Amino acid sequence: MKSLKQLFKKNPNKIHESRVDVGLNILNIVLLSAMVIVVLFPLLNYFSLAFNDGNFNIDVVLFPVHPSFEAFDYVLAGEISKHFWRSFGNSVIITAAVTIMSNLVEAMAAYPLSKRDCPFRGTIMMYFIITMLFSAGIIPIYLVMHTFGLLNNIWSIILVSVSNVTHLLYFKTFFEGIPTDIEEAARLDGASDIALFFRIVVPMSLPIIGSCCFFSIVGTWNSYGTAMLFISGSAAGQDAQPLSYYIYLLLQRSALNKDNPWLVMNQRNVEAAAMVMSIIPILLLYPYVVRYIRSGLAIGSVKG
Amino acid sequence: MQSGVREETASAEQAVPVKQTKTRKDEKSSGGYWKTQWKQVKRYKRLLWFILPAALFTLVFSYFPMLGVLFSFKGPEFDLTKADVLYNLTHGSWTFQNYLDIFVDDSFYRAIANTLIINVFRLLICFPLSIVIAIQLSELKSQKLAKAILIIISIPNFLSWAIVVGTWSGLLDPDVGVLGRFTGHIMAEDSWFKPLVVFLSAWKGAGWGCILFYSAIASIDKTYYESATLDGANRLQKTWYLTLPSIMPTIALMLVLNISGMMAVGFEQVYTMMQVKSDLVDSQIILDTYLYEISVVNRTNIPFATGLGVFNGLIALALMLIGNAITTKTMKRGLW
Repeated sequence: MKSLKQLFKKNPNKIHESRVDVGLNILNIVLLSAMVIVVLFPLLNYFSLAFNDGNFNIDVVLFPVHPSFEAFDYVLAGEISKHFWRSFGNSVIITAAVTIMSNLVEAMAAYPLSKRDCPFRGTIMMYFIITMLFSAGIIPIYLVMHTFGLLNNIWSIILVSVSNVTHLLYFKTFFEGIPTDIEEAARLDGASDIALFFRIVVPMSLPIIGSCCFFSIVGTWNSYGTAMLFISGSAAGQDAQPLSYYIYLLLQRSALNKDNPWLVMNQRNVEAAAMVMSIIPILLLYPYVVRYIRSGLAIGSVKG
Repeated sequence: MQSGVREETASAEQAVPVKQTKTRKDEKSSGGYWKTQWKQVKRYKRLLWFILPAALFTLVFSYFPMLGVLFSFKGPEFDLTKADVLYNLTHGSWTFQNYLDIFVDDSFYRAIANTLIINVFRLLICFPLSIVIAIQLSELKSQKLAKAILIIISIPNFLSWAIVVGTWSGLLDPDVGVLGRFTGHIMAEDSWFKPLVVFLSAWKGAGWGCILFYSAIASIDKTYYESATLDGANRLQKTWYLTLPSIMPTIALMLVLNISGMMAVGFEQVYTMMQVKSDLVDSQIILDTYLYEISVVNRTNIPFATGLGVFNGLIALALMLIGNAITTKTMKRGLW
């Protein structure tokens, strides 16, 4: 009896955990594990279809049961490969152009606006912020693109995505925190404003530029709402569809050739293969996400 | 415009003592706001060019379309195929009928109701879920493990809605889906539509959404927890009386941001989910998808659709202004 009591005796050096706390701990771990499973299970299940033979889809739970690369072959080199690679290329061009143009333009605009004695500062800021508050809807912007002759053209997506007031505000806030002494010193040394911006301000602002570029890349790569507006889902827009839009169209089934008996069995596998291909660029960026999460998550956090 | 100018004066005055004692003297002697500004313009001559590209893009792709609001006052004979802005402005009649039509349109009310229902439930479920996950993660003994879990559960945030909807419709497929065999084809069922919209929003966004709260919790001073422990508080008490109040500013700010951004989210998700069943059901439309259907897909009454878009924009504007008013009042900072 005594020994049993001894066994349960509190460790005097350690702050004692009550029974409630231990229970909560277990509950916590169980719930979090459930969360991880809910996130990972659908992804593993669906993406293993990409590596599976369509006749055995019903047996797939977490891993491919009947490995086959026919779906990938069909997407990358088969009937739809031309369309697929075209949209992949479009997405690369659109994402690169939007990321570079948008962040360059907004960072440049944010630089003078970050100076407290910039003339008409409030008025200019208001000019940008109004566009964040109110938009006239999709018909007017559609008509503008029509007037420019940019419908069914990837430039419609690029041009409409360049203006990004949120990033302007991020840049402005960050630039305001840069000490002015360094700029003053460089100015005394005879550096021009452009040199000052690109040689001193930009290198000092790499963290915020990195985050904004990252958000631009992920946002542009994954979005297809804008594309649905300007680019036709039928043959007319085939050359200008971004990849995410193409995958959306694949899900419509009607995009696929119904006369192909192999395809009828392998529809889901083809979709899954296209999706696996489309997340590769995002996977390449994931180390950045990991670092972002590990680094203490400084950017964008509001002190509690 | 007026308030902009006033704000400008204020910020110029604020800046004066810090930097330019000279300007203040000038201002006193000549007394001109414009004169001071003009002096600054000369000083900033080259830097002001930096703003030009962004200003031009904003002008062409944000302000120029705002003129399109005028189209909502056009008669139904509006010709989209002509689509020449000038032609359409100079031809045809002017009317206020489109706005009257909106108010008697059944689909419009259904769309508003659905938008509200979906967004309110999203706010009630996804938002607290992020906070709960963040607290759970911060309670883990090993913060390395917490970060690993965080990295895993934020994966869905980086997938497009097409992939998310495709994944789940595969999983819930009644023939071959692992879950669908037991649940039936619930993705095509009307009554399941709204719960699934909210669930998929949570699945995609909750993990990434909790990062902000997690970092807010991480920045709480650890000594508070130690003294609370010495006072005999258990974990629930510490969470309720210490963690939650400490991250309240972050929660409030994110809540306001979420409410103000309500109108802008959901089009891709809802429209893609509607395609699973491949026919448009009235009980599933939200404002954005309704707008898209009548303007891009059907193209029947363009002025009416424009009016609807303007209306949508006005609701968004009202939400933003309310959100901003709340944050300026309670947190002494605006949303922008």
